[in-house]
Amino acid sequence: MSRAVRRCGGAFLLLFLAAVVATTLGSVRINLGHVLGILVSRLPGLGKLVEPTWPLAHEMIVLRVRLPRVLLALVVGGGLSVAGVLFQGSLRNPLADPYIIGVSSGASLGAAVGLLLVIPRGWVGHGFLPLFAFAGAVLATLAVARLGQRRGRLEPTGLLLAGVAVGAFLTALVSLLMVLRIENLQDVYLWLMGSLSGRTWGHLSMAVPYVAVGLVLALFLAKDLNVYLLGEEAAHSLGIDVQRVQRLVLITGALMAAACVAVSGVIGFVGLMVPHALRLIVGAEHRRLVFHSLWAGALFLLVADTLARTVFAPLEVPVGIVTAFVGGPFFIYLLKRGSDFYG
Amino acid sequence: MAKVRVDRVSYAYDAEPVLDDVSLSLQPGRFYAVVGPNGAGKSTLLKLLDGYIQPQKGAVYLNDKDLRSYSVAELAREIALIPQSSYYFPFTVEEMVLLGRSPFYSRLGTPSEQDRRIAQASMEVTGIAHLAKRLVSELSGGERQRVTIARAFAQQTEVLLLDEPTTHLDLEHQINTCQLLKERSREGVTVVAVLHDLNLAASFCDYIFVLDAGRLREEGPPGEVFTPELIAQVFKVTVPSLRHPVTGRPIITP
Repeated sequence: MSRAVRRCGGAFLLLFLAAVVATTLGSVRINLGHVLGILVSRLPGLGKLVEPTWPLAHEMIVLRVRLPRVLLALVVGGGLSVAGVLFQGSLRNPLADPYIIGVSSGASLGAAVGLLLVIPRGWVGHGFLPLFAFAGAVLATLAVARLGQRRGRLEPTGLLLAGVAVGAFLTALVSLLMVLRIENLQDVYLWLMGSLSGRTWGHLSMAVPYVAVGLVLALFLAKDLNVYLLGEEAAHSLGIDVQRVQRLVLITGALMAAACVAVSGVIGFVGLMVPHALRLIVGAEHRRLVFHSLWAGALFLLVADTLARTVFAPLEVPVGIVTAFVGGPFFIYLLKRGSDFYG
Repeated sequence: MAKVRVDRVSYAYDAEPVLDDVSLSLQPGRFYAVVGPNGAGKSTLLKLLDGYIQPQKGAVYLNDKDLRSYSVAELAREIALIPQSSYYFPFTVEEMVLLGRSPFYSRLGTPSEQDRRIAQASMEVTGIAHLAKRLVSELSGGERQRVTIARAFAQQTEVLLLDEPTTHLDLEHQINTCQLLKERSREGVTVVAVLHDLNLAASFCDYIFVLDAGRLREEGPPGEVFTPELIAQVFKVTVPSLRHPVTGRPIITP
């Protein structure tokens, strides 16, 4: 138990330090002491202890711009990674990602409908977009779950096939919308690439509940997922109600992924690569895998997003480009290094 | 008292009948083989015995209680199943065998000292204790199969079901596997294995069930069941009547 506490403490400390450093970086450099001072000044009870020696503008940048974005990167990175663990586990497929059963294509269509047909131009950025994307993701997942059943049972192959089919269909609809409404193309296009630019506390508060509840459920289901990896019949004979677990895991993963996509667009590769890489390093035991994927995914997306907004400053690249650019080679390195685990 | 009783069970996938009015009973301490041509319904019978699927007609009784009245968790403490195909994710051998103890601790719990002792004993019996820290994904086929058997042993159930446990194994491992199962049955466990290799069934099993086209065609000790007539009718192969010079058990070869 004390080992678990130490690990959690270590991971928290690491993420905290990374978050503080990331907050200092950007077009305006803010020194470390000021960032810490600004943070402490906002803590209830402790606020009076620090003398505000920093410019007000810096306080605004930290509190309104950088901090919500940094925290959102942590939440979305951790959320997508844990969702990836759930999907790879419940589909028993190491190539599954959080988007595989329709979440991303559904969210994209929701966002495209919102951006191109419903939300008036001046209202974009008022928080409606995530609602459209979330609704799209949930509806698409329900459709896939419905179509992917065989004899009333959810099965990995059926779900994967239905996911691919529904995904292709919805993506075609998104493309069609984009062609028909070419004047708003850029908004949709940027959204599809995934970005944390300009995200606010509102976005954060929308994603956090889903990721938090999802995380708790993922830990709760970890033992069942371990057994489930042995195959359906073996899992049944070890006392697992396979269909119920399958359902719970898919709902949990889909809601986590939907909430993340809704606030950040389609950020690829994190949810695929992080769980896969961690499985190669810490093994398939799910309690360990969920925990390590959570902090590693959070850290990875934070680093990627910080690079995305600083490397070509003042130009910003969509973070999805960075995750693929950094993640691809690393992933290949891991695969070359390790043996084939799935033979 | 029979440990397990199958009473006039029929099962169909969609409209395709797979098992038709099958009755049989299984005693403690015996090693049973289920044999038959492809599509005879052997795997389906095993799934029914495990409660993985429910019969559309008839019933399966465990300890004289309808299998349907057991919860999935209760069944896991009574019956262990080794399915035909297994998946090998990067668990260590020890972790994998400990999964056999998972019906005995709670969702948020961890294996107890006793669970670990039982897992250790299962690994020793199956001869894989020295592999405990290795990843199952890195083992050979024969070693994996022993891990799977150790996992089922760790479950410590009174009924053990196996679907083609020897299929991908070389001769030595086929014989080791059957020997392990036979020893297990001598400790009082009811062991039922679907076997394709009739000679393995003839050499190691106490009692044979022959399934053909969803019906129980014949049952009895190997010496009585494996006659050239039955082999010809069920497997469409002509064989001479041969006996092992030492054990006197039938040998089935063209």
